[in-house]
Amino acid sequence: MSQPNLLTPPAHISPQSALHLSQKAPLILSKPPTSSLPWPLSLLSSSESPETWTTYENLFYTCLQTGDDASARQILSFFSNRFSETNERVIVLRGLYEELQARNKVELEAVLKKYNQLISEDPTRFLVRKRKVAVLKSLEEMEEAIGECVRLVEESPTDVEGWAELGELYKSQNLFPQAIYCLEEVLLSCPNSWGAHATLATLHHLSSSSAPTPSIPSLTLSLRHFCRSIELNDSYLRGFYGLKVLSSELIPLLQNYNPSSRRNQHNDEEDVAPPKLETVKKLEELATGKLGEIVRRYGAGDNGWTGYEESEIAAARKLLDKEGKVVR
Amino acid sequence: MPFLAAVLNTMGLVFLTHAIYSTHEHHSLTASSPYKTSTTAIPSFPSIPLDILIELLASTLALLTGIVLSSPALKPIQWSTWSSSLSRSGRKSEGKYTKENIEVLGEGDPFQFLGLDSVREGEGRRGFWDGRGARGEYVGWVKAGGKA
Repeated sequence: MSQPNLLTPPAHISPQSALHLSQKAPLILSKPPTSSLPWPLSLLSSSESPETWTTYENLFYTCLQTGDDASARQILSFFSNRFSETNERVIVLRGLYEELQARNKVELEAVLKKYNQLISEDPTRFLVRKRKVAVLKSLEEMEEAIGECVRLVEESPTDVEGWAELGELYKSQNLFPQAIYCLEEVLLSCPNSWGAHATLATLHHLSSSSAPTPSIPSLTLSLRHFCRSIELNDSYLRGFYGLKVLSSELIPLLQNYNPSSRRNQHNDEEDVAPPKLETVKKLEELATGKLGEIVRRYGAGDNGWTGYEESEIAAARKLLDKEGKVVR
Repeated sequence: MPFLAAVLNTMGLVFLTHAIYSTHEHHSLTASSPYKTSTTAIPSFPSIPLDILIELLASTLALLTGIVLSSPALKPIQWSTWSSSLSRSGRKSEGKYTKENIEVLGEGDPFQFLGLDSVREGEGRRGFWDGRGARGEYVGWVKAGGKA
């Protein structure tokens, strides 16, 4: 695993790496990125590079995470000097700073009020509207957050990030059919995203396990999406993990499955034909083999196999150990 | 391999330049020669001697081989192979640094912005970043002694 990087930070910044990254702030901030000279001369002496502002933005996020408010404020002033106060992204960064300064609910609601005002001034400020959803979420007003997010994707239906967020909001409320719908919308825009397929598969699986009896159509759909995710990425640990869990759940169900009794029921999901028992068994074997390989080669530190998350490997190892197979 | 490629490239360039120079010399000599073989109005190109021809072809071949050998490794064109190399080895260093002395890394998961594939839910979805949650996690970590 390589060191976390300010230019292309990982999705999950652990506290340790956040501390490590934010400690770079004094060094990076010691030199202002823009020149102090008047306009034509400033073009010559500027030290900006295409990566500069990405670095600053990421540094801003980690500084906020570690509570280094002085550095965050300094970066914010760099941003507003360079891109003006009215730039939407600068507005959002300032809002983020204020959100983290809020010490209690009342102060956070004041930030929310400010967002509301900004949105009513210009309803096309989608970045601000996203922040509003996030604030509502941290105020734990899930219903309002969902409502705001629904309005967001209604007005901007190609916003995949918004659909993904809405799906997760629904999932947190155990509204799986709605969450599945949102993830299907994500797939419309990103059909090649293995992560979206795996998430959709997980949602189908959850909707089946939350029902009183396991539903074979849901599990079948889940299996299909997991298969698609590993078709798109043939070293995808999460996909193989899901495939293994799913197939070991499906095998006993399919063994007692009577196709003739199914015809009497008339569900919407009726057209989802369950997979053959042999196919599922083969898939389970495949998943076990591949998970074993990933865990073994990651453990051995083989070249080109070290990009996985430690926690994911641990989970896969646990799953394999449960079966009594010794991997190492 | 890089050494061999460099040798081939240098040799190829030297011999190619030499062959071109020889051709030019040969051409200017035969063009000014009084014993012209052609008597027709159409100016005919004097043929290149065999040794120059061989030198030309050999040097071009050496240069081509050198260029192919010194080119970077090809990237996979199959989606699943490409994406699996991303998940297996993570981001690789490109060996370059920005002005802020930050390492430039190669490509990673292009769908990270969806936040569907991270350890904690929703992380990577920048527009909806849960700053308070992230700071809460950090404060908890510090209070717990700051160990990994």
